[in-house]
Amino acid sequence: MNEQLSTGGFTRRRTDRVAVVGWLVIGLFALCAVFAGFLAPYDHSAQSRFEPSAPATRIHFSGLTPIIHPQRVEDPLRRTYSEDTSNAFPLGFFLRGYSYTLLGIVETDVHLFGVRSTSGIAPRINLLGTDQLGRDRFSRLLYAIRFSFIVALIGVLVACLVGILIGGVSGYAGRLMDTFLMGVTDAMLALPTLILILGVRAAFPLELPMTRAALLLLLIFALTGWADMARLTRGLVLSLRTREFVVAAVALGVSQRRVLFRHILPNILPSLRTRALLLLPTFLLAEVALSYLGVGLQEPEPSLGNMLTAASDLDQLRSQPFNILAPALAVLLFTLAIRLVGRNERA
Amino acid sequence: MMILIVSAVTFALLGFAGGDALTQLRDNPQISEVTIERLRSVYGLDQPLPIRYFRWLSGAVTGDLGESTYFRVPVSGLVRARSISTFLLGTAAFAIALTFAVPLSLAGVRYKSRTIAAFIDSLILLTASTPRIVLALVALAISVRLTASAMDTSSSVLFWLAALALSAPLISVFLAQFHGELQRTMREDFIKLARAKGLTESTVILRHAIRPALNPVLTIAGLSLGSVLGGSVIVESVLGRQGLGTLMVSAVRARDLPLVMGIVLFTSTAVWLGNAIGELLQAVNDKRIRDLGY
Repeated sequence: MNEQLSTGGFTRRRTDRVAVVGWLVIGLFALCAVFAGFLAPYDHSAQSRFEPSAPATRIHFSGLTPIIHPQRVEDPLRRTYSEDTSNAFPLGFFLRGYSYTLLGIVETDVHLFGVRSTSGIAPRINLLGTDQLGRDRFSRLLYAIRFSFIVALIGVLVACLVGILIGGVSGYAGRLMDTFLMGVTDAMLALPTLILILGVRAAFPLELPMTRAALLLLLIFALTGWADMARLTRGLVLSLRTREFVVAAVALGVSQRRVLFRHILPNILPSLRTRALLLLPTFLLAEVALSYLGVGLQEPEPSLGNMLTAASDLDQLRSQPFNILAPALAVLLFTLAIRLVGRNERA
Repeated sequence: MMILIVSAVTFALLGFAGGDALTQLRDNPQISEVTIERLRSVYGLDQPLPIRYFRWLSGAVTGDLGESTYFRVPVSGLVRARSISTFLLGTAAFAIALTFAVPLSLAGVRYKSRTIAAFIDSLILLTASTPRIVLALVALAISVRLTASAMDTSSSVLFWLAALALSAPLISVFLAQFHGELQRTMREDFIKLARAKGLTESTVILRHAIRPALNPVLTIAGLSLGSVLGGSVIVESVLGRQGLGTLMVSAVRARDLPLVMGIVLFTSTAVWLGNAIGELLQAVNDKRIRDLGY
């Protein structure tokens, strides 16, 4: 409280503005996750054999209309490309492409942008180039954000549920239970998380289809991520259970469960929400790490982690570092945004 | 005790999920079911779980962690050999984090300037929110750019880049803790007394403020050993270093249970040791803690 007063109006307003930027970035990620199909010009697994490892398509302007030139392979071995400037194709918006389901209900084939063509065949526009199989990296990135974002979000929810339950019981129930539960929690917190996660991962088969991989990741997150939440919940519950309104509720003969869930929980929810927000990048990073190491989501499904394995192709990394590391940039932006928001909430 | 619980839980999970290093052999048509069963009994995999755990535990107490099913060598030797490189990397990361955190915090309280405070704040924010995997990949990109061929990246450059990537979260933790603690200490009465004695501000900070402010930092340093070990998995994999982290990854990939168990045991012991050393250093630093009966 004191700190808030001393920082004064000016800094307060500035941190608010910073938090707005953070929320905007998070909102952008959420939009990418929800509308991945609409924003992505191509199917994330559609391969284009004629342009593997192509650099990003350059966008030119003729007058006011944006145009692109088709790319031609110059040296298939060293994978160099040149632009064929004799041909030009204009870009268009709301074009028809492959079909997908919007929001899980509406089936549609309209995409935000694409290449317009009068003669049927149009060159592809690859904003971030293509990978070794000629798949559009930009489209893959959008789908990767969708997968990673959703897994991290649900993972946080599950881990929070487990953590709040354990922490609440630990803080409210007797001393013996408390000692036991907090002992386990401390052990969990002290262990190197990633090694623990990998240890749990080793218990399951290596190659899994997409939905089962997602479920497994959620399970692992729930198993390893609850400790932080439990610790916080316990502390908050302990501080609240001696407050007058709780004592009054108990004196009125309200059942224990009702006291915990109707009187204590609503009061500690804001603090829990901030912590849950800060857990989000942790889980996102865990997913990225697992997929990068080849034990998370497997090809051909894109995830932020397995897209980054392209960095092991050092020639590519040297010639187009930005395209290869774009998923890493997305991760960085996301964690930074969460921090900005979280820092403000705590102040 | 904690180590015991962790190892038992990991073991139970690994056993419960089913499948072991020999499961993959089933896909090979040249190997009959009988052979696999015989191999299982050779490795003791046909025994029930509690017996296997007990066997493993009694071996572990005497330093025998069994044989890796993938590398075909004793786990303890493998872990020891690989942990040296990780230990060096981790030490370097700690050193880097300290060289950032200590002078900056000292300068921050010595010259109460807004610029330094703002710089410290933004450095904390940046290092806290830049994931290690991003840093490691950027380090890789830089090292690839620097050298003509990928292979002759000089190992010392790569080593320091890896250490830097590993140290980023440490910098934020140390800096936030030490700077905050120093600021708090500077408001204490004994600091006022030292100033009233006519000591210069530098002497006040260096002789009177550092010691009490150091204690929480030591705790955090001990605790962050776990984060360093976890981070080494990513940093080593990205930058292609042979260490404990990459060993863990190959163990998980090969479903090499003895090796996974060995590494989990080793790292949890190391973390426990790190906490103990942190507390010990606190006792050395602060006479009040020593007098409490250590």
